[in-house]
Order: sequence, then C-alpha cells, then structure tokens
Amino acid sequence: MSKHLSIISNSLIVLQVFMIFLCFVDLSALPPLIAYIGKLHPLLLHLPITLLLLALPLYLIQNKYPENDVLKNIFSFYLSYTALAATLAALGGLLLASGEEYNANTLFWHKWMGVTTALIAHGLMYLQQARYNKVIWNTALFSGIVTMAIGSHFGGSLTHGEDFLSLDLQQEEEVSFPPLSNKTTVYDAAIHPVLQSKCITCHNSQKKKGGLDLSSFETGFKGGKTGAAWVSGDPDKSILVERMILNMDDKKHMPPKGKAQLSEQEIMLFTEWIKAGGDQKATVQSIPDSILLKNLVMSVRAASSTEKKAKTYDFKAADAKTIQSLNNPFRRILPLANNSPALSVKFYLKEQFSANALKECQSIREQVIEINLSGMPADDNIIPILNEFKNLEKLNLNGTAITGKNLSALKANKKLVQLSVAGTQVDSKSLASLSSLPSLKQVYLWNTKVGPEEAAKLNTSYASIKWDIGFIPDKAERLKLTAPYPVNRDKTILEPGEKIALKHPLPGVKIKYTLDGTAPDSVNGIFYSTPITPEKVTRVISMSVADGWLNSGTTDYTFFAKGIAPDSATLLTLPEPKYRKIGAAGLIDLSKGETGNLGLYWLGFRENQMKAGFHFSNAPMIKEVMLSIAQNTQSYVFPPTMIIIKGGSNSTDAKIIGTFKPTLPDKHLPNATLPFSIAVKEGNYKYIEIEAKNIQKLPKWHNGKGEKAWVFVDEVFFY
Amino acid sequence: MDNQEKQFRLNVTRRHFLTKAGLGFGSAALGSMLFKDQLFGSSEQSNLPLGVAQFAPKAKRIIYLFQNGAPSQLETFDYKPLLNKMHGEELPASIRMGQRLTGMTANQEKFPLVGSTFNFAQHGQSGAWVSELFPNMASVVDDLCIIKTIHTEAINHDPALTFFQTGAQQGNRPSMGAWMSYGLGSENSNLPSYCVLLSRGRGNGQGVYSKLWTNGFLDSLHQGVVFSSGEDPVLYLNNPSGQDRKSRRDMLDQLAQFNAESFSQFGDPEINARIQQYEMSYRMQSAVPELTDLSKESDSTIKLYGADCLVPGTYAANCLLARKLSESGVRFVQLYHQGWDTHGNLKNDMLMQAEDVDRASAGLIKDLKQRGLLDETLVIWGGEFGRTNYCQGKIDAVNYGRDHHPKCFSIWMAGGGIKPGVVYGETDEFGYNIVKDPVSVHDFHATVLHLMGINHEQLTYRHLGRRYRLTDIAGELVKGIIA
Repeated sequence: MSKHLSIISNSLIVLQVFMIFLCFVDLSALPPLIAYIGKLHPLLLHLPITLLLLALPLYLIQNKYPENDVLKNIFSFYLSYTALAATLAALGGLLLASGEEYNANTLFWHKWMGVTTALIAHGLMYLQQARYNKVIWNTALFSGIVTMAIGSHFGGSLTHGEDFLSLDLQQEEEVSFPPLSNKTTVYDAAIHPVLQSKCITCHNSQKKKGGLDLSSFETGFKGGKTGAAWVSGDPDKSILVERMILNMDDKKHMPPKGKAQLSEQEIMLFTEWIKAGGDQKATVQSIPDSILLKNLVMSVRAASSTEKKAKTYDFKAADAKTIQSLNNPFRRILPLANNSPALSVKFYLKEQFSANALKECQSIREQVIEINLSGMPADDNIIPILNEFKNLEKLNLNGTAITGKNLSALKANKKLVQLSVAGTQVDSKSLASLSSLPSLKQVYLWNTKVGPEEAAKLNTSYASIKWDIGFIPDKAERLKLTAPYPVNRDKTILEPGEKIALKHPLPGVKIKYTLDGTAPDSVNGIFYSTPITPEKVTRVISMSVADGWLNSGTTDYTFFAKGIAPDSATLLTLPEPKYRKIGAAGLIDLSKGETGNLGLYWLGFRENQMKAGFHFSNAPMIKEVMLSIAQNTQSYVFPPTMIIIKGGSNSTDAKIIGTFKPTLPDKHLPNATLPFSIAVKEGNYKYIEIEAKNIQKLPKWHNGKGEKAWVFVDEVFFY
Repeated sequence: MDNQEKQFRLNVTRRHFLTKAGLGFGSAALGSMLFKDQLFGSSEQSNLPLGVAQFAPKAKRIIYLFQNGAPSQLETFDYKPLLNKMHGEELPASIRMGQRLTGMTANQEKFPLVGSTFNFAQHGQSGAWVSELFPNMASVVDDLCIIKTIHTEAINHDPALTFFQTGAQQGNRPSMGAWMSYGLGSENSNLPSYCVLLSRGRGNGQGVYSKLWTNGFLDSLHQGVVFSSGEDPVLYLNNPSGQDRKSRRDMLDQLAQFNAESFSQFGDPEINARIQQYEMSYRMQSAVPELTDLSKESDSTIKLYGADCLVPGTYAANCLLARKLSESGVRFVQLYHQGWDTHGNLKNDMLMQAEDVDRASAGLIKDLKQRGLLDETLVIWGGEFGRTNYCQGKIDAVNYGRDHHPKCFSIWMAGGGIKPGVVYGETDEFGYNIVKDPVSVHDFHATVLHLMGINHEQLTYRHLGRRYRLTDIAGELVKGIIA
C-alpha cells in the first residue's frame, strides 16, 4: 500500500470515529465558526453521490482485467476518495443540522443513512484491497448505492419540501381564496391564504425555520424559538407583525429579502386581525362593514384575484417563416408577447386591403386571437373567412362596410370575448344571433343602427354580455362654438391687393366681425360673406354664431399692409440677451411675433433704449413709419415713452423727421400687439433711424414701481 | 494605401462584423425574427428581445395628455377644505419642513395658505372628489385612477418636464416614447411609432423643447415626430406638382440602391435608418390623409370633443387626432398643452385652461371606450409638478397665485391595465406632504413600462460604458393601481 493511500486510510479512521461521536452528542451549543463549517454540506454532498455511482462501471472494467495491477491501483485510490468525500459530507451534514430547524423525522433518516453510506464506502475500500469474495463485495456496493440514494432523497425533502417531487401542478398556481360563506372565518378567508402564499414555504410542519410552523392556526399561535407569533389584541407585541415591518435590510425582516413581500394592505390586515383578537372564531360576516378589518379582508381578496396570471395558450406556435412571409406594412402580425404562440393581425391602409389579405392568414388561423379590420373596406363576405379562426378572442370591425348580414356565422368563434362593430350598419337583429356565444362579454355598438331602446333590450335579454352603444349627444345641450380664424393664420402681413379671409370649420356657422376695435355681439358687427379689403392697419375682431350652439368668444387679429422693404437693418443698441435671437433682420422679415409668446420673433429692450437703422439703396419716398409693439403690463412690457424717427442719406446726416409720444397705460391692460404709426416729413430717404425710449421708472400703481419697463418690437413698416 | 485610410477600412470591417454578429444572435428569438425589417440595436445592447413585449401587455398603446406648466392639484383633484378654513393664515413651519422654494417665492416674507376658489363635489360610484372646473372629467371618473401622491425631484419647469419625459433632469436621455419604440417597435410601419402633438392654452405658458421627445442615445428611428399644428399636420407629404406616385416610387427605389451601396461601404447604421425613413414617408402619403381629414366627423364626435376639435392645433383637435393615430397603431402619442403655470391670476387662467381640456380629455376616454379600445390604450393626464398651498404674491378677493410644488400633485391614468374608479394615495390636510402611498416619477415610469409588457429593469441600452434604463437605478411598480 502506497504512503498516499495509507494517509487517506488513517485520516478516514479518525474522521469516521469523530463522525460517529457527533451522531450521539448534543450539537445545539456549537461555537458559530464550527457551525459555519456545516454550510459546506450542500457543496460536498454531490461528490460522494457521483463517485459512488461511478464506482459500479469502474468496478466492472476492473473486474474484466483482474490481472491488471494499474487498474486495480487506480480503483483503490478511487474508492478511498469516495469514502473520504462521503465522510466529509456526512460530517458537514451533522454540523449543519445543529444550526437549523428541520423536520425531526426526516432528519433522523437522512442523518443515519448518510452516516451509513460513509461507513459502507469506507468498508468498500477495505473489501477491494483484501479481495473478498464477489458476493460480499457486490452486496456491499449495491447496499451502499441504495442507502445513498434513499438518504439523498430525505436530504432533498429537507431542503425543497416533501412535495417537491409530486406532480401536482396546482402547487404552482397562486393560492386561492376559499369562497365566502356566512361561516367563513377571517382566518380562513384571508389570513391563512396570505400565510400560505408568502410564508409557508419556509415555515411548515417539515421545514419549521426558526421553529415556526404557520401551516395551521394552532402551530402558528404556538410560535417558534422567539416565542408566540402573535399576542391576541396586541399587534405591537406580536413578532409576526414586527418582522413584516422591519427595514428590508434588517436580517430579521420577513419574508427575507428577495422573496415575495407582503403588500402594505396585507400587513395592515394582520395588524387589524391581531388587534381584533387574532382568533380563529370571528367570521367575516360578523364584522360590520364600517370596521377596517372587514374592508381589508375584502380588498386583500380582491387584489389577489385581479392580479391574474397571464393567460396561457395550449396551441403550438406558428412557424416563424410563415409569419414573416405574411407580414408586410399593410398586414401586421404580432405575437402577443415574446415566446407566446398567440398572434394578432391588424390591417392598414384602405387602398391596400382586400378580402384575400385576410384569407391568406388561414395558415395561422389556429394562433390568431385578435383581428383588427377597423377602417378597412371589408364587407359581409369577410365574415365566413373570420369564422375559421377558432381561437379568436377579440375582433374589431369598427368602421367597416359590414351590414350584419352574415354576422351569425361568427357563432363558430366560440372563444370570442370582445366584438367591436362601432360605425357600421349592423342592427340589433343580426347581433342577437351572437348572444349564444359562450365567451362573449362585450359588444361595442356606437354609431350603428342599434338605438338606445334596442340596446337596453339587448342588455336585459342577454345580460351576460355588455352591449355598449357609447356616447349619445344630448340634443338639448348647447355647446360653445369656437371663434373663427383667418384662413392663413400665420400671415398677418398682407401683399398689395391681398384680402383678409376668415373661416370656421363647422358647416352652417356664421361669422360676425367688426373693424373698429369694438367687440361684435348680437347687435354690433357685420356678417362675413366675402373676404375683407384691408387698410394699412386692419384690426378684425370676430365671433361665430350658429343655431343650436352658444356664441363663441371673440378673436382679435391685426393685419398690416406690406410697406416699402429696406435693403438691410442694423441694431445700434443691443436688446437683452434672451430676446435678441432674430437680430436686426427680424424687424423687416415680414414675420410677426405672437402677443402671447414674447420669447419668439421679438426683440426685447430694457437696459438699452431701442435704436436701429434701416438702409434703402434706391431712396424711396417715405411718409409714414409704423412700429409693432407689445403690451404686457403684468410682465413690465409697456409702450415706449417716446419714438423718434430720423432720416437722411446716411447715419451721420440723418435729422429728426418725426416724433411720437404714445399714451401710457395707467392700470393693467389686456395683453396686445399695438401698431404705432408715426407720420414723418415726406421725402426720399436712403437711411432711417428709429429710437424708442422705454420707461425708466415704472409708476406707483405698478407692482414694479421705480424699475425699468421693457419695450418689445417685432416688426417695422415703412409707407 | 496610406496609414489613415488603412485605419478607416479596418474600422469599417470591425463595425460591419459587430452589426452582423448582433443581428445574427438576436434573431434566434421568434420576436426578432418578425422584425428584421426594422432596425434595432444589436442584442448586446439590451437584455431583452427587442420589438416585442416581454410578457403579455395590458396596454398596447399610450396617449399621454401632458398638461404643461403644472396644473394645481388643489383646484382640480386634491380637495383640501382645511385650506379654505385657514385661508390667509401662515403655513406652519412643521408642515413645510424646510422645503426648498423657487426663486419666485423664496424671498416672500409670508406664506399665507389659500383655499380653492372652485367648489368640489364627489362623483361616480367611486365617490372621488373633482372640482367644478372639470364637469366632463367628473362624468368619467369611474373610468379614471386618480393618483394624488405623485412627487418629483425638480422645482422648475424645464428640469421637471425633462425628468418626467426622460427619467433624468439633465436632458441627455431618450424619452419615454423613444424607449417604447425601441422596446416594442411599431405596430404600424406606415406611421411613426412616436408622435408629438402640441397645443397652446390661454393661461400663462411655458415652452416645450424637442429634447422632450428626443431619442437620446437610441437610434434616431425612435425619435418623436412632431405634427404641425396647422391645417397640414405633416408637412411636405404631397408630391411636387408634375410628379405622380409611380415616379416617386421609382425615384425612391433608385435612391435606396445608392444608399444600400453606401451602407455596404461605410456600414453606418444611420444610412439604414434613412432608407427606412424614406420608405415610411412614402407610405405616410397614404396613411396620414386618412387620419387627418376632419371634414367627415360625425355630429356626435364633435359634441364629444367640443367644437374646437375641428380647429387644427387646438387641444381638442389634438385629442381627436391622438385617438385616430392610436387607433392606427401609433404606440405613443404625446400631447402637450401649455398654459398651466398659474403664478398669479390663477382663477382666470384655470377657467380658460379647463375650458380647453375638460371636454376633450373626457371625450377621448368616452370615444376610446365606445370603440372597444380603452382596455388596450393607456391614457395619462397630468403635469410636471404641483402647486403650493400658499399664495404667491398678494391674495385679494378675486385673485391669487400658486408657486411650484414638487412634493405632491395629482395625475390620472385610465384604460389598459389600470384599476378604474380608484383614488390612490393620500396627502396631508394641508395638501403639502404625502401621508400614504407615495409614487415617484421613476415608479410611474416602471409601472407604465410594466403595463406595456416590459420589465423596466431589463429594457436597457449600453451607452458610454454602461447600461441605461428609463428608470435608471430606481423605480418600483405601483401595484395598487394595476388591475
């Protein structure tokens, strides 16, 4: 025997004596470090299982060449390692068992079979070396494997639970709540099901982590190592609740991090139940509705029942290539979700649709659960095609050309749940034929031939289906019209000869307008018939009027005639940084800003007074200058105190040719864009300079008194 | 071949290899097989098969009615009679607890509480409180789930909006709609999977910016497409005069050939994105006119959304268009309605804003419902934060204002996968702090993704050396609102 083998053999004897010693002593008070070694058990235990199982074929090979010493030696080593692995695994198991709570009965068998396996493995080693007769050897090897197999099964039951191997598919399902009767107790109705779904995998009669078994009321009430799980009437003293509300990071928090947690509602349910006595007697019926506990029982039950598991389908998935070949921009076939065999089909673009496009889908008719034909020119002839989709659950025929003629053919679609025929010519007679569909729940009937009375009749005759006719406008209700607007809303600077056209999108609406700045009403204003011929500045205030509607509010648009266009413009002072984007060119770009949005298309001056120069190479005749200026008194935006116009052939020789002093507001006024027209000394100018002075100290009435006001300009015109 | 060119060619080959390798591995799953016509990131980018829901979705599409500027929760859904009782009294410091304030009220000497000038009543079977501003929304309250305890981290519009739309305040991340498009792909390849509709109310407004519908670091295919608010929602769709559809087709085929050749040379995925965009625009020439033609709307529809639904660019018209886009398979329709920033002049501003949105928002719910679409469409209504329970500026008999308040505000959700007729969460009597069931913006995102069939922790994109998610490193499902 080599030295190597003898070392293993001697260690085995020591270890096995120690192992048998451990079997008989109380291990509950082990130092934690030693107990920790026990955690290696799950790591080690698979080694002897494999080694022992492989010993059989190895033995058969070795047996075939009994004279081969190399093989014999290898097999000796092999067996010694098997024994060593089995012994170490058994030792680990003994230490692990000390630290945790397991079902005592199962543990007993697992322990002794494990230890026996280790002993037999050790024995095999000697049997092989001593070349005992084959019967003894065979019996030993066989019993070793059998003991190991049964022992391992007990081990598996300890960690995974007794029923781990049973083929009961119901186990995987969510815990079901028992139906409520007048005798159902709160415990049975909600407490036990929640415990079952969230706690019992670790705290059952087999596994009893922490000594706690929550599988029945009695064992739960008894509690575990740290005492009773709950104290009747006192949730504050109940460990059950305490563990649930501990910080997630606390080791003692239950259920442990990573496992399904209790909802807040469920925790409150336990608190209230314990407060109310925490017993097994109180029935749900005996609690008045006003008590929180009742509410919690009901809502916990409801929450769980609505969190339904995704529906599964038992048909096979269609061939991906088939789906791919059917998919195009006008017929989209999508799986319900990744790895789901269920498909939906939806059609797009009227002009691309034909009944054939639907017929081609018959190769996937088993998988299709949704068909959406809304808006397609599909007629009654498609119904017979549809009825071949036996798994169809949702069918959308909104806005199609169907009349309901063949609708009864859909009776073959036994799984149909929802049918939408809004905006079609379907009548209640053809629909009634569908009432026998067993799964049908909703039918959407808005804008069909089915009126309110017929719908009511359908709803009473076939009450398991919701027949929904949707929104019916109240004829007596008078809604407010929207105001009219210019046909070209963005264009308020008019070319010579261009007229102002107003419109309203609703047929039958009349437009009333004024040009004098007053608001139109039932007396004031002119009815619009043809486009309005504009002045230089035209302010149009308009409203709309129609029978059966309330009058609209007014809209207020100011139009400017396009004047003489300068060649270029220069800013002589800088606007504030946030309001200078459009630059000097923005003043003559024939694009107006909006009163409500001073951030765009406007120049805003505050620290500097506005000063800009305009160049005309051909020195046109100019007699009027117009500035379009914003007024927003709430935001400190005022008209200028003074506008000065200079004219000449260049910036050095320009002289004052006109001034204007606008009237300043003396209270807050509505936001507006104001045109200020300044008559200037008539003449041919190559250069015109405009200066607009902003208020340096706002008046007392204003909330910004003493501060500077803003001047905002978006466009300048020359006539 | 000089050294520089050699380097370039080597890089092209490497890029090619990576792109192809990615597609090869990803296509093992059925989902990806079906979407080869789409451009998706290679599988190394994401933990999920892209272009298909991870698990059965409760909602297929989203319509997000964003109320830009932040409507006051105290005048709409969060009824606080105590504020009316204590009208004008100082906000107790024990309630404010040192909450950071905006520059607009930080220097205010006093913080007088102000009660709602609008009356509240309970509605529907759920008995939810809704203010008189929203009589139409009140009529559908049993279809809504009102969340009173959403809270955000930002106190100013831009960061708060950006946070809501992209999950981060800084604005360099993909927006919600882009993530949806990336994760779920398009239902209808004739339209963008992410559309943005803008409207402006008459109240005090705040801007919206294209970064709110950005694709961020995702493929530009996933960017939100803004519809114009004019008569033509999508510009330049008409063929130039003298060119018919056939010659346009021929031109595009030629162009695609050039582009494909260019792709084989340079391997830049943006070239493929461009080919797809041309193809989609071509099909949009048919798809869009079908949707945007408002002339054939029935009287009942006009009454449902209000008369302004026929005026392009209004909130009501956008709601109607949103319904049509959504019905046609657009995954994510994002509306923005501006004008809710009621620092002063609250009463008038709220009246005008409510007039714009109340009927159309409720109409959208009713319209989806009567077509059997509400159970597969998720509708969200709400702003970027709430408003303070104390007054900004002076309180007078007719007017008051409220500053920004991030600690609690109300939004509602309805439709696909949402528990109807529920009021979720509780705020304190002052409407200042959350007492029960807080919902953070990340939680909101996680829940929305969940309803669409995506686990928010698994929809990722690798960028700058790490994986990113819409919820980044936060977000818990709000189970209490999921049906």
